[in-house]
Amino acid sequence: MKRFTLPAFLLLGFLSKAQMKADDVKAFTLKNGMKFLVVEDNSIPNANMYLFYKVGSRNEYQGITGLSHFFEHMMFNGAKKFGPKEFDRTMEFNGGANNAYTREDVTVYTDWFPASATETMFDLEGDRISSLSIDPKMVESERGVVLSERSTGLENSPWQLLVQSVQAQAFQEHPYHWPVIGYEDDMKNWKQADLERYFKTYYAPNNCVVVVSGAVKTDDIKKLAEKYLESIPAQPEPPKVHTVEPLQTGERRIVLKKDVATPYLYIAYKTPEAKNDDYYSLVLLSDILSNGKSSRLYASLVDNKQLANSVFTSYDESFDPTLFGFYAVTNKGVNETDLEKSIYEEIEKIKKDGINERELQKVKNQKLIEFYGQVETINGKSNNIGTYEVFFGDYKKMFDAPAQYNKVTADDIKRVANKYFLKSNRTVGILKSQVDD
Amino acid sequence: MKALRYIIFSAALLAAMVCKAQDYKLPAYQKFTLKNGLTVYLMEQHDVPMVNVSVILPAGAIYDGDKAGLASLTATSLKHGTKNYPKSKLDEELDFIGASVSTYASKESAGLSADFAAKDKDKVLAVINELLTAPVFDTAEFSKEKKRTLLRLDQAKESPRSVIGSYFDKFLYGDHAYGNIVSGTISSVSGLVPDDIKKFYKENYIPNGAAISIVGDFNSKEMKGIVTKLFSDWKQGKQANAAIASKPITEPAGNRVLLINKDDAKETTFLIGAPGISRNNPDYVAIDVINTLFGGRFTSMLNDELRVNTGLTYGANSHFSPLKNGGTFRISTFTASKTTEPAIDKALEVLNKLHKDGVDEQSLTSARNYVKGQFPPRYETSGQLSGLLTQMFWYNFNESYINNFQKNVDGLTVEKAKDIIAKYFPKDKLQFIMVGKSAEIKKIVEKYGPVTEVQIKEEPKKAF
Repeated sequence: MKRFTLPAFLLLGFLSKAQMKADDVKAFTLKNGMKFLVVEDNSIPNANMYLFYKVGSRNEYQGITGLSHFFEHMMFNGAKKFGPKEFDRTMEFNGGANNAYTREDVTVYTDWFPASATETMFDLEGDRISSLSIDPKMVESERGVVLSERSTGLENSPWQLLVQSVQAQAFQEHPYHWPVIGYEDDMKNWKQADLERYFKTYYAPNNCVVVVSGAVKTDDIKKLAEKYLESIPAQPEPPKVHTVEPLQTGERRIVLKKDVATPYLYIAYKTPEAKNDDYYSLVLLSDILSNGKSSRLYASLVDNKQLANSVFTSYDESFDPTLFGFYAVTNKGVNETDLEKSIYEEIEKIKKDGINERELQKVKNQKLIEFYGQVETINGKSNNIGTYEVFFGDYKKMFDAPAQYNKVTADDIKRVANKYFLKSNRTVGILKSQVDD
Repeated sequence: MKALRYIIFSAALLAAMVCKAQDYKLPAYQKFTLKNGLTVYLMEQHDVPMVNVSVILPAGAIYDGDKAGLASLTATSLKHGTKNYPKSKLDEELDFIGASVSTYASKESAGLSADFAAKDKDKVLAVINELLTAPVFDTAEFSKEKKRTLLRLDQAKESPRSVIGSYFDKFLYGDHAYGNIVSGTISSVSGLVPDDIKKFYKENYIPNGAAISIVGDFNSKEMKGIVTKLFSDWKQGKQANAAIASKPITEPAGNRVLLINKDDAKETTFLIGAPGISRNNPDYVAIDVINTLFGGRFTSMLNDELRVNTGLTYGANSHFSPLKNGGTFRISTFTASKTTEPAIDKALEVLNKLHKDGVDEQSLTSARNYVKGQFPPRYETSGQLSGLLTQMFWYNFNESYINNFQKNVDGLTVEKAKDIIAKYFPKDKLQFIMVGKSAEIKKIVEKYGPVTEVQIKEEPKKAF
């Protein structure tokens, strides 16, 4: 059982004394370029396999939007050895469960199973990666499934529509322009040939990173990987996404009409990708703004001025420059423009006066606790290790992250706020029930 | 053909191996009771330098009376400050050390869960003690919280999934306390005043009948001293209507439909329900296995038919929600408005098939392997384990549930499965709860039983 020890002082050392080290992750790469990362952890008699394919809606173009996500579904619909339905049936018969998720940048497949079923997982994964069969009948029924997925997302949260619409305004040329789920009309028009090309281009072993954590031995994983996956041929590297979003030179605003109790507000500033040096400062800035009841925005807008019913911010890792989002729901009897103005006032305070040392220390402390939460389970380990490997270019950066956060100064926070939170760099979306005709 | 043979062979082989690997036992813990009646569970887990706390109290929505939402608002208001920690100090100090402490009410009980760094245990446990025993219920904070709650109730009506559960419970339990809506309604919450929560707190936040479990990186002997010192002064109490939920639950006499109209709905979100089981049902594990087959996993009969075969929905499942004195069973799914009829018909067809065909050896083996294989990750973290310990207290079961789980799963034969299906899975007198666009689906849903139509924007009725 792995043990993590907390450094005596949160500030000093962060993880330096923790016992899970980068060395505990064993890495190897098959001859076809498929990379494996393995963590041996016997805390429960289970294991998992996370497969990160570097393909997402970012690799699509108008006309086939949503195809990456649809492909994620089709990966469960039959291959050469395990035909339609047999992937799931075999997995569940052997005590395993699975899921998958698609983002703008990646598609991730997750298998969770008793460690004794590890070989079956390799057999299943090997079959669908080497010889997926795209049955036109399955394509049709699965199309209904993803249309339902799209519809139920829109049906149950106003955020979905608002965020999609703001994204489409903020990105005019780059593929982050369209939603991961796709446009409804594109969803109804994916062709067999699109799917086949997608599979060959992106589902190549050299475009995939596999993470295995749990009650397994690295040597056994290596043998199984060689047996089931090494013979799958590598493919030429997928075409680069060459579109760079042109510099935004003025505020963009949109309004949407939907029957809601009070207006929803989403403000998004263009910010850099995960590999940028400002990444860690921006993550901490997001926490200072909205993590916890003592955070700047919650304390001011929800608690003190009571302009908002809820407020949060987000800034996630990405391959290409992305958005730093402010989400707020207006309180009853409050004009949404007053709420919007107050958000800007809070931003301006940080731009002008910066933050205090205790605030900075607070979010660093929170980050450490968050880290422990993430590595407490074997699933958290695999997901984080894989995410660092594909988004930051090296899983070792996960172990370096605490030090990176620790290096951030109050001046850094002030600097990035001034650099990115510019009026000309933002897109504002408002969703409400009454709009001007 | 070759592929199929392979699968059966490998599965049989693996089933044997699986049993060995999953010999999962609950880690050692100690349990003791303070003089005031508070039950304490301590379990050491040293994987990460963290501590998790879970508290369960007899202060759930069943005690709301005609003030729906009272239990929930009381639980939330605990965090509005204490004697030594005014709200802003409380928020800031917990945030500063990255500690999370949340309080909430559910149907039967109220609860607190917390996680924090092991080195902060003295401080956070002292805060938890104050939250539970010395809250101040600040009037200004109450009025802000009430406003937030009212808007949230209004917002919930934007999402069928957010409201359908409350309608379901009201429809199934009628005027029994289990029908109480935990979140309250706009009119009930509007009527609440600070004295209501003070009274509710005084009557129901009592150590006798409550439990605290602490799991994580600490020394049990030291922790026992800390907890005993901190919590022994908490005064005992007596609840006036403690047994309110033990009143009999009226069972439905026939099919009924509750249609909740949402004018801008493009989907029909629906539940098909019936009376279920209580948590202490001796067949609990066997029912779990059969429900896994019927609607509890991806390849389940329901999901296979409504999603995989027909593409009618993104997902369909079934679920038992057991409480102390009863429970419900539900099939749950959603579909585009225009496919409402085929989706409901398919769900009913699958239910009939379960009764008609039962389960065969192959699928039962699969379900047994699945629930066993997915069991250990449910109790992997300190948070999960502390939650389990308070559940053990509340529903009066012990570690034999964990330690005998595998044996009980394996004991379910095809023969016994037949009895389980007949006894616990409904055949008739089904309750249909649907959120959708009435103008498009009312004619259709009339086919399933007498329809009561309500508007999502209106106040839910006291009982249906």
